[in-house]
Amino acid sequence: MNLESITRSPARASRAALIATWCLCALCLTAAPGRAQSAKEIVDRVDRLLRGSSSKGKVQMRIITEHWSRTLDMDVWSLGTDYSLVRVTAPPKEAGMATLKAGQEVWNYLPRVDRTIKVPPSLMMGSWMGSHFTNDDLVKESRMIDDYDITVAFDGERDGVPVWEFNMTPKPEAAVVWGRVVEQVRKADDMPTWVRYYDEDGTLVRTMTFSDYKRMGGRLVPSRMVVVPADKPDESTALIYKQLEFDIPMSKSFFSLRNLRSGG
Amino acid sequence: MSRGNGVWWRVAWRNLWRNRGRTLVTASALAFGYLAAVVVSGLDDGMGAELIDNGTHLLSGEIQVHAANYLPDRKVNHTIGGDDGVDVSALLRRIDEDPDVTAAAPRVYGGGLVSAGDRTEASLLLGIDPVREPRVTTLLSDMDGGRIPRSAHEVAIGSEMARQLHVTLGDTLVLVAPAADGLLGNDLYRLVGIFHTGTPEVDGSYTILPLADLQSLLDMSPDRIHEIALDVARPSATDAVVARLESTLPTDGGPQVDVRSWRRLRPELAQSVDLMSSMNFLIILIIFGMAVFGVANTMIIGTFERRKEFAVVRALGTTAMGVGRTVVYEGILLGILALAAGALITWPVMVWWHNAPPDLSGFVGGISWAGSRWRPILRVEYSTEIPIYSALALFVTSVVAAVYPAWRATRIPPADALGDR
Repeated sequence: MNLESITRSPARASRAALIATWCLCALCLTAAPGRAQSAKEIVDRVDRLLRGSSSKGKVQMRIITEHWSRTLDMDVWSLGTDYSLVRVTAPPKEAGMATLKAGQEVWNYLPRVDRTIKVPPSLMMGSWMGSHFTNDDLVKESRMIDDYDITVAFDGERDGVPVWEFNMTPKPEAAVVWGRVVEQVRKADDMPTWVRYYDEDGTLVRTMTFSDYKRMGGRLVPSRMVVVPADKPDESTALIYKQLEFDIPMSKSFFSLRNLRSGG
Repeated sequence: MSRGNGVWWRVAWRNLWRNRGRTLVTASALAFGYLAAVVVSGLDDGMGAELIDNGTHLLSGEIQVHAANYLPDRKVNHTIGGDDGVDVSALLRRIDEDPDVTAAAPRVYGGGLVSAGDRTEASLLLGIDPVREPRVTTLLSDMDGGRIPRSAHEVAIGSEMARQLHVTLGDTLVLVAPAADGLLGNDLYRLVGIFHTGTPEVDGSYTILPLADLQSLLDMSPDRIHEIALDVARPSATDAVVARLESTLPTDGGPQVDVRSWRRLRPELAQSVDLMSSMNFLIILIIFGMAVFGVANTMIIGTFERRKEFAVVRALGTTAMGVGRTVVYEGILLGILALAAGALITWPVMVWWHNAPPDLSGFVGGISWAGSRWRPILRVEYSTEIPIYSALALFVTSVVAAVYPAWRATRIPPADALGDR
């Protein structure tokens, strides 16, 4: 492999670096796990871990705001990164409300008026079901490695726990809302601990914290996710996974408007 | 010396009429400059008045009352009187009592979605009092079809929104909005009216329904409103009304209210209007800036022609200052003459133009600017400032134009001029 081609192609360069590192490790017989992986690979792996090729589960969402608090029980299904369906099962007043994500589109089903409504682009940043998540979160959730340049910002111990911290900056052409995203991942088990979202001015907008790591559906996952908006530290939305299955047989036809309406 | 002075004024006056044609032409130039300055500024003021009028009467009203924390975020829970609300009819009665308030209308806002068939648009939901609202704003006065929503489950949308949703009168619309209790309020409504204001931002975004209906969609009690919009009889009374309401309204130990005039509510509109009035001064400056050189030119020629005459007067013992002074006096007298002529031709033109403004609506459509619609009706607005400033500018012009020729006149050496050197 000639040097010029290495310097010209960053992808090849990183692969070359990877091979070189592995050779070096093999030579020294010191297997230093992890460090040799690129930041992108780790983030991608963490993303996949929480999703699987398909998944099905029961989630509780607890929303706390200045004026009201609410707990919703929901059934969720997902297929790959493009499809997901969420249906509220309790309390009775909201039961039957459902959200379908198919590609870049988000649809809501409103049982009271028996209508499905596509969320228009102008409201993608609006709150999803009154929570601190936006409709955009549903669509963009899985595209970190596509839309962001990822670098290791920190590699070492935090409070005695070995972690990586990844700095993600949007690629110039990416249509994303964040100016910067920072994610902390535990080295020991690839579990995320928190993600911080900054706007284009570098101001912290919200923090997502992961906890209650449990084995569910044969995998270790953080069963509790809490989002806190930076400007209202007293408000929060918590997602608590009650039940989770991975890699179950499921087809795209499940994620249809008809199914959104009729109940999965 | 005053008697001597009188002589110089008389000399100046006579000099002015020695070349009658030239003086009349110069005076007419100044008079028409005055006419142009006053009329163009009047047109500019007319556009400004039109902007204010349409800008405030279309939607915002001249004054608005909110809870102190409502603007600028417009959170659904920040109602007047806080979470408990207020006795709305008592509050309205109190506002109606103000002698300068002609009408007041309560409002509720919600941000949400309007959907019909497979089409959905984001919309600003506005709950109105069907009786009070038309007294404050003209929003619902131009209906493309249908009528004002009056009873439960009736809505009106703008023509642009109707086009985007592909709906016509009688169709069913779904409204969805995050309610005060965090739920997603949603219900079905019948389209009973389509309004057309000519302002795309309004026609494409507002959905209007009766106050009580929006309150129930948003899970708000009838005591909770976001805004009261007011109409004031005389625009000049606006600030006084704001001050009075500020002192009387803070209610019963509840959260403070915030009273704002259109200047604070619509800073972009206020700025446009301010920009227009500052342009008036630019217009005056340009017109009389040009006039100054024309007048100076005539007077330089006039003094040059009289070189010998000045020389004789100097030779007879008049001081240089005395000679210069006649020329300046000529300028002053020319200015007074031009001003009289200018006022005489400007006044009827202004009266006519104010009362019978040319309506160009047939040729050009309305223009939307700074959130206000401007109709192409070229009415001139009367003003006390502009005629006075223009008169001052005219007067200063004729005097300034005389200064250089006067200085030249003082520099004429009698011997050289008489000796034709």
